[in-house]
Amino acid sequence: MSADTILEMKGFNKSFGTNVALKDVNFTLAAREIHGLLGGNGAGKTTLMNILFGLYRAESGITTLHGKRVEISSPRAAIQQKIGMVHQQFLQIKSFTVLENVVIGTPVKSSFRLDLTEEQQKIRQLSDRFNLDIDPHALIEDLSMGARQKVEILKALYRGVEILILDEPTTNLTPQEVDSLFQSLRTMVTEGLSIVFITHKLREVLTICDRISVLRNGQNVLTLTREESSEEAFVRAMVGDELNIQDSVIFSQKGIQEAVQTVGKNVVLKLENGTRLNEEGRPLIKDINLEVFDGEILRVAGVAANGQRELCETIIGVQAANSGKVILASREMTRALTVELLSAGVSYIPEDCLRDGYLPKANVAQNLILGFHGLKPYSTNRFMNWGAILSAVRGLIKEYNIKTMGPTETGANLSGGNIQRVVVARAFSRPCKLLVAHSPTRGLDIPSIDFVYAHLLERKKQGMATLLVSENLDELLLLCNRIIVMYRGEIVGTLTRDKFEKYEIGRMMSGVRTN
Amino acid sequence: MSVQTEQVSLKRSPVRAILGQFIPYLVAVLVAFVAVGVFIALMGFDVFKAYQTILFTSFRTQNGIIQTLLKFIPLMLQALAFTIPLATGKFNIGGEGQMIVGGIGATAVGILFSNLPGYILLPMVIAAGIIAGGLWGLIPAWLLYKFNINEILSTVLLNFVSFQMIDFVASEVWKDPVAGHPTTIPIGEGGWLPLLWDTPPLHAGLILAILVAIGVYIYTNRTTGGYELIATGANPRASKVFGIDVQKMFLLSLILAGGIAGLSGAIEVSGYQHRLIKDFQSNFLVLGLIIGLIAKGNNLAVPFVAFFIAVLEVGASAMQRTMAIPVEMVYIVEALVLLFVLLSDVVRRRR
Repeated sequence: MSADTILEMKGFNKSFGTNVALKDVNFTLAAREIHGLLGGNGAGKTTLMNILFGLYRAESGITTLHGKRVEISSPRAAIQQKIGMVHQQFLQIKSFTVLENVVIGTPVKSSFRLDLTEEQQKIRQLSDRFNLDIDPHALIEDLSMGARQKVEILKALYRGVEILILDEPTTNLTPQEVDSLFQSLRTMVTEGLSIVFITHKLREVLTICDRISVLRNGQNVLTLTREESSEEAFVRAMVGDELNIQDSVIFSQKGIQEAVQTVGKNVVLKLENGTRLNEEGRPLIKDINLEVFDGEILRVAGVAANGQRELCETIIGVQAANSGKVILASREMTRALTVELLSAGVSYIPEDCLRDGYLPKANVAQNLILGFHGLKPYSTNRFMNWGAILSAVRGLIKEYNIKTMGPTETGANLSGGNIQRVVVARAFSRPCKLLVAHSPTRGLDIPSIDFVYAHLLERKKQGMATLLVSENLDELLLLCNRIIVMYRGEIVGTLTRDKFEKYEIGRMMSGVRTN
Repeated sequence: MSVQTEQVSLKRSPVRAILGQFIPYLVAVLVAFVAVGVFIALMGFDVFKAYQTILFTSFRTQNGIIQTLLKFIPLMLQALAFTIPLATGKFNIGGEGQMIVGGIGATAVGILFSNLPGYILLPMVIAAGIIAGGLWGLIPAWLLYKFNINEILSTVLLNFVSFQMIDFVASEVWKDPVAGHPTTIPIGEGGWLPLLWDTPPLHAGLILAILVAIGVYIYTNRTTGGYELIATGANPRASKVFGIDVQKMFLLSLILAGGIAGLSGAIEVSGYQHRLIKDFQSNFLVLGLIIGLIAKGNNLAVPFVAFFIAVLEVGASAMQRTMAIPVEMVYIVEALVLLFVLLSDVVRRRR
């Protein structure tokens, strides 16, 4: 280890039940470096850092901080050791101001009068020093995801951390916000902090990190400095031998070549002035007009929670539109029930699979037929054909490589990635005219993502339509012919493939209209 | 996914899987008996003789078997009235009230049309019980459907309403003047369930109950409706997103439960008492909950657990008669079995 190593983790093992999450993992962090922790989902990146932050306890492993051995058993202990962590899901109180959210849980000078003048000054100073540009009096609920991200970082800085762990910090950011985040991170490092940057996005790591470690299946694969690294080396390290890179959609960019080729002329899905209001009468989606043609993958971009889920649910009939029309293959289906849409040839992959698409208390087989259980061959005349179901389900388990003990295993026993596979497998298990897929690759490892992409392209070739909603911009550019951008429930613009430009999409994602 | 074809090698033999299911139950029962045995011994009784009485009374004599079966019928039906809504994640704690109202419905029809011949009156009596119980289940179901009122509260509270109703019917409307306890006059003989066995009498309610158990099993495990019931209970939000009318499933399950509980009331009236006696519902509700929970909502297991509890109940009365050990000891056994079964789940999850 070099002399400026401030943190060393050695020999970490951790398992959840029978699932080994970490196997003899080592990690070091030098002073003033941004260390990228790269790997697919389930590689163990977040687990390792959760252990460092005191959220999980490892079965074995030694942490050395500034040359001294430390035991960190809780996040509170971690903060005392000047280690802070920003999780993917922010823990913020929406109706409180930035200031209140930052100071919460820390000793406040005048705790009876709640006079936060001094605290506010400290926050302003931090904000200026690190280019965070946050108004301490703004309410959290009024802020964009990028700003909320900064509040979370501010919380850690306010507590005086020297080591900052960021878990997938760019997930919900526009490209502009990513740039600004990276600038702030650079400032922090020059000011003396050390940063662990957890991500599965290769390009980000290559942009910002000084040193990069790759984890795969809970094991160290390699650690390289930026100078000695190459994209190719990391792809190899992340996916191992599981993926033939030349044949893959992601890396060979085969998708792009095919995507620009012909799109059908028949409209499969048409939405006319689709508007849906919430209970208070505020629009969740407003005047949405869109058409998806056969053989097309139409992409919906936007920062999370800008009406994408409501759009999907309006199309598949979970909540009917208050006004406007939904037309499926020239049949009006505005008021149709979800059952009717599913049997008319629509499939759905919800964004939050666990909440909206999965039955943890039911078994794998029951999960794989949800929504299609009333259709042949799964049932005839309201009687279930378990024989047919089980043989179909066994086929799906094999084809989609769902890791389970069998069709009768309880759904809750499956890991996150496998749950996503179940939901994806179900959506692909029937021929469907229209697939509404919301972040279908969330939680999947790279070979699985590639598999999903290949399936989507296959659908396209067969002339079927897909509405693909995703927040991941790199993913956005890969597969589609057209992108529509949503902001606060409205479509702010449509781009065709020749106009694709990352920053342009980013501007639209933050609400700037172009056409 | 396709690229990676490695198959999972975690395969268990079916025998071991079944054993794995049963062992926690056996351990729970054993530990409960041991724990209560300590108390029985401390009270100065012969533990082995007490347990012999509890476990074997049901099987030693014809009377024992029939007493056990007569207990088994309402216990199992009550348990099903609990487990069916439980599949959707709803708790029916109103089986008692639904049983009473079912009994009232059956009695009313049996008295009002007492001259009708059996082939008309008997089906009417039974149907009246089912319908009355179903309607009693419809009230909380509708409150839940329409106003999202918690079904636990409404079902429990409706039990108290039913207590007043049976009191009114048995001491005002069709009061039997010679009976000391509030009791109605008998229903017409045409409304009596035929006997399967004469002395001691065992009525055909057993067949009805078994048919219901089979029907419930087929419904929940073999039909799309049953699938939707289970899906709703497993995750109502996801079920809704994938086209299941979850509100309808809640409604349906509570009405169905009411009907089954009502049937148990009708069977008691038409098969056993031939009249309505206040407090005839005994403590079947609580035992039904215990059975449903020990069975963990599995409708296939319910009849077996119900039979086991019926054996304990009959054995308990015998033990009290012959050895003067309080019958409450057996309630403690039942409660402990439930606790240990639930505990075994926690233990398994921890590992």
